[in-house]
Amino acid sequence: MEKRKRFETAKIYVAYGFLLSLIDNGSVATALSITVTEFECVSEQVLHEGDTVSGNFVAIDHDIFWSSDHPGIDFTATAPGGSIVSSLKGTSGDKFKFKAQKSGIYKFCFRNPASTPETVSFYIHVGHIPNEHDLAKDEHMDPLNIKIAELREALEAITTEQKFLKARDARHRYTNVSTNKRVIYFTLAEYLVFAGASALQVLYIRNLFSKSVAYNRV
Amino acid sequence: MSRINFHIILILGLMSTVAHSMRFDLQSGATKCISDDIKSSAMTVGKYAVVNPNEGSSVPDSHKLTVRVTSPHGSNYHYGDHVESGNFAFTAAETGDYSACFWVSDHKPSTTVTIDFDWKTGVAAKDWSNVAKKGQIELMELELKKLYDTVSSIHDEMFYLREREEEMQQLNRSTNSKMAVFSGLSLFVCLSVAGLQLWHLKMFFARKKLL
Repeated sequence: MEKRKRFETAKIYVAYGFLLSLIDNGSVATALSITVTEFECVSEQVLHEGDTVSGNFVAIDHDIFWSSDHPGIDFTATAPGGSIVSSLKGTSGDKFKFKAQKSGIYKFCFRNPASTPETVSFYIHVGHIPNEHDLAKDEHMDPLNIKIAELREALEAITTEQKFLKARDARHRYTNVSTNKRVIYFTLAEYLVFAGASALQVLYIRNLFSKSVAYNRV
Repeated sequence: MSRINFHIILILGLMSTVAHSMRFDLQSGATKCISDDIKSSAMTVGKYAVVNPNEGSSVPDSHKLTVRVTSPHGSNYHYGDHVESGNFAFTAAETGDYSACFWVSDHKPSTTVTIDFDWKTGVAAKDWSNVAKKGQIELMELELKKLYDTVSSIHDEMFYLREREEEMQQLNRSTNSKMAVFSGLSLFVCLSVAGLQLWHLKMFFARKKLL
């Protein structure tokens, strides 16, 4: 009697183990900013093969006021085996999406070719949808769970897009504030230089007619 | 009935401990800061740990890290000195960039420490196991509640983006009008300086009896 009870309990726990792995809702999404001086890497764990990894990154130009436009950030996504899954060169911000061929730790690297450090705001989401194979494996699983997972992934796609738009808006804001500042400062500098140049002109002409220099030269 | 409840709680408990985190490397002596833009009154939860290079034994002293989490205005929210793991949770008092800075003390042969870091804000930071326990909620209902919260946060985010876009439009309009005003002023300055110049030189030459 005791042995049968223990076996029953063990069966339940194994079933829950399965259930747990199947209901797993993909990974937590990270929307963070990191300062890239030269080369920075971030790794994310992909638990199941066939998961869709989607994300985006935007370079936020802090120093746009004095320096010319930044050449852009290079991005590479590397699979656990070492092969490069996604690569984007010289962009100020872009989206990426790929299907993970195997599970493991994926590396996402940003390279900054310029000398000034750059702040990169990135967002990576690993999405898992249980498929029919998982459904067949465990009878506790409801087909409704697949629909819920699909819905969740669709919402995550919207959230990903929103984070991209938010980061782009932040970048846009810096550009606009810098344009505003440039308009004011450069115009005032222009006035001062203009007034100074014309004053120098007048002084020079006066000097040409001064008694100390040859009076009748002109 | 209580057995079923127990099992539901067990599942949810197991679910809530499933953590997926990002990793990054830190050279000894270097500082790395990760920042996140958090809105005010949003819940945020963070967890960090040093990935043990040698399995089994404890983390060596050279691999212990110092952490500081600061608000956009510089006030300290969390500080960990020479720890190998820790967590922090707070409700953001103001909107802005909150940064978590990690630092590993300098070591003679320069070592690279891998840090496991997990920072959740908003919907993901909410304690779902608590919510389930309180209401004895079924698994599927909990999933749907999560989806509903996600949709609400998407809605709020859209409002926020709309506000920001409006601010940007204002800024652009003001820059546009400033450019127009300054260009007109520039023309005026140009003409007036030329006029002053001519007048002054005329006076000068008249005085010098050359004209």
